[in-house]
Amino acid sequence: MISAWLLNLDTVYVLTGIVLFIFAVLTLGDKEHPHRYSSGLFWLLLAIAFALGSVLPHELTGILVLFMVMLDGAGRVSRGSRQEATTQEQSAQASRLKNKIFLPVIAIPLVTFLFAFAFRAAGFDSSAINRAALVGLGAGSAVAALLALRITGGTLSTMFHEGRRINDAIGSLSLLPQLLASLGIIFTAAKIGDLIARGIQHVVPEDNLFLLVLGNCAGMAIFTMAMGNSFAAFPVIASGVLVPLIVKPFGVDPAMAAILTLTAGSSGTLMTPMAANFNIVPAALLNMKDQYGVIKFQLPFGVVIWSLHVLLMYLMIRLI
Amino acid sequence: MPEWFKLIGIVIVIVGFALKQRTTLVVVTAAMATGLVAGLPLFSNATSPGQEGIINMLGRAFSDNRLMTLFLLTLPAIGLAERYGLLEQSAAWIRQLKAATVGRLSILYQLFRVLHGILGLRLTGHASFVRPLIFPMSVGAAESRSPSVLETEKVERIKAANAASENYGNFYGQNLAVVQPGILLVYGVMRGLGYEVSLWRMMAFTSPIVLLSIVLGAIQFLRLDRSLSRPSNEEPVSR
Repeated sequence: MISAWLLNLDTVYVLTGIVLFIFAVLTLGDKEHPHRYSSGLFWLLLAIAFALGSVLPHELTGILVLFMVMLDGAGRVSRGSRQEATTQEQSAQASRLKNKIFLPVIAIPLVTFLFAFAFRAAGFDSSAINRAALVGLGAGSAVAALLALRITGGTLSTMFHEGRRINDAIGSLSLLPQLLASLGIIFTAAKIGDLIARGIQHVVPEDNLFLLVLGNCAGMAIFTMAMGNSFAAFPVIASGVLVPLIVKPFGVDPAMAAILTLTAGSSGTLMTPMAANFNIVPAALLNMKDQYGVIKFQLPFGVVIWSLHVLLMYLMIRLI
Repeated sequence: MPEWFKLIGIVIVIVGFALKQRTTLVVVTAAMATGLVAGLPLFSNATSPGQEGIINMLGRAFSDNRLMTLFLLTLPAIGLAERYGLLEQSAAWIRQLKAATVGRLSILYQLFRVLHGILGLRLTGHASFVRPLIFPMSVGAAESRSPSVLETEKVERIKAANAASENYGNFYGQNLAVVQPGILLVYGVMRGLGYEVSLWRMMAFTSPIVLLSIVLGAIQFLRLDRSLSRPSNEEPVSR
């Protein structure tokens, strides 16, 4: 009973909706904001889609999303007027509060862990543990907010203004992971994966093991880059290429070939803007000038480790 | 219409991203175009029962994946802590650690994330660790080793390295526990294709890749340290 209530993600979603609602209200009240009403409306719609996502009919949520994307596409969603505190101000506060200022930010991962560990120790299955971690993130954020208010002596209003400052810096990009998930679903419904698997079957000669391994890993990386997600690509490549062309005809160890194919895909994830939650949102979260800055840094690593996947899989097939 | 026309979505994404168009608009346009070319209806309706409409899928995916955006909850607390000197204090703290460099911190953080994988914990640390802790600590380390104010271009590279160490540790480390979704996905898919694969065997075969990812990451991060210690020609700008 208690665990069912604790593990209900809707509580966390409603909480996020409330935070977004406050950001929306602050935006609407920001007189120096260049796009005060349209930006405010954007955050308000997101607040609704977040808090009520589980009860609204999907087509209604879909329409809300389309409307938000149109507002953003028209360039009507932008940052508010809130500025970062000056460096002098920050240093003065830092020398007053010293290491106490770390307590709130440490509370976030700590509470997240505590929730996950508690449910793990209680013997729940992995999906319950994952949900516990997400609920823990919500609880951790609340604990952190209370601690931050207490330690700094700042007001609730300052806290939400500061939260909105970071939120504005990220802007509409925070929607991207969810939008990409819908692109993935539509790609699946349109059977794009089958098309790619057939393309590889068509190009690679059936008796050349090295080229098959190369085609398998390349197909996995390319499809992952298009979908932004190796988990979505794996079933397609495994059923279209790996099993029929490599595992079955050559009698290859399926555990080895399958797990290496999955991480060959992860190497693709490092190199694609479609994996927005890993590559684009962090760049925004860190306020980077180049939204592709993280990808550019990861590119050489990704190419090298992908090539090593091809070599390792080929050698393992030959040697064991 | 030839079947490969369905790839229009991928073309729209590549062209749209290359031309730096609004990413949200590019992605939704690609989704709508792919769905329409594949002959899917806009809305679920009575004339084609069992066929979900494009707008319905858009809404369903959006609400099913809200968990990806939960980091928004952490922003008020982090924002307030930043106003009250979080970044300054972490810089001051790390200045006392003489051995700390951006590269060493990134290596350590990547290992820390691999450890999460082994413990079976799955999380994305960009919002909870990188932005509030690892990045300011790295800037502090770089500042303590630099005679003058850090150039903007160097700060940008530090940000990229911090975010990358999170991804390297997370992506490759997460297959080291049997409760992790990647391993379970592979198990489920291979079972569906007629192969009962051992979870432990998969963990064994993924370990050389984990080792390689740590070594390659270390090489890249230590090279970054060397390039950060060289002066650049750019105008110094304060953070």
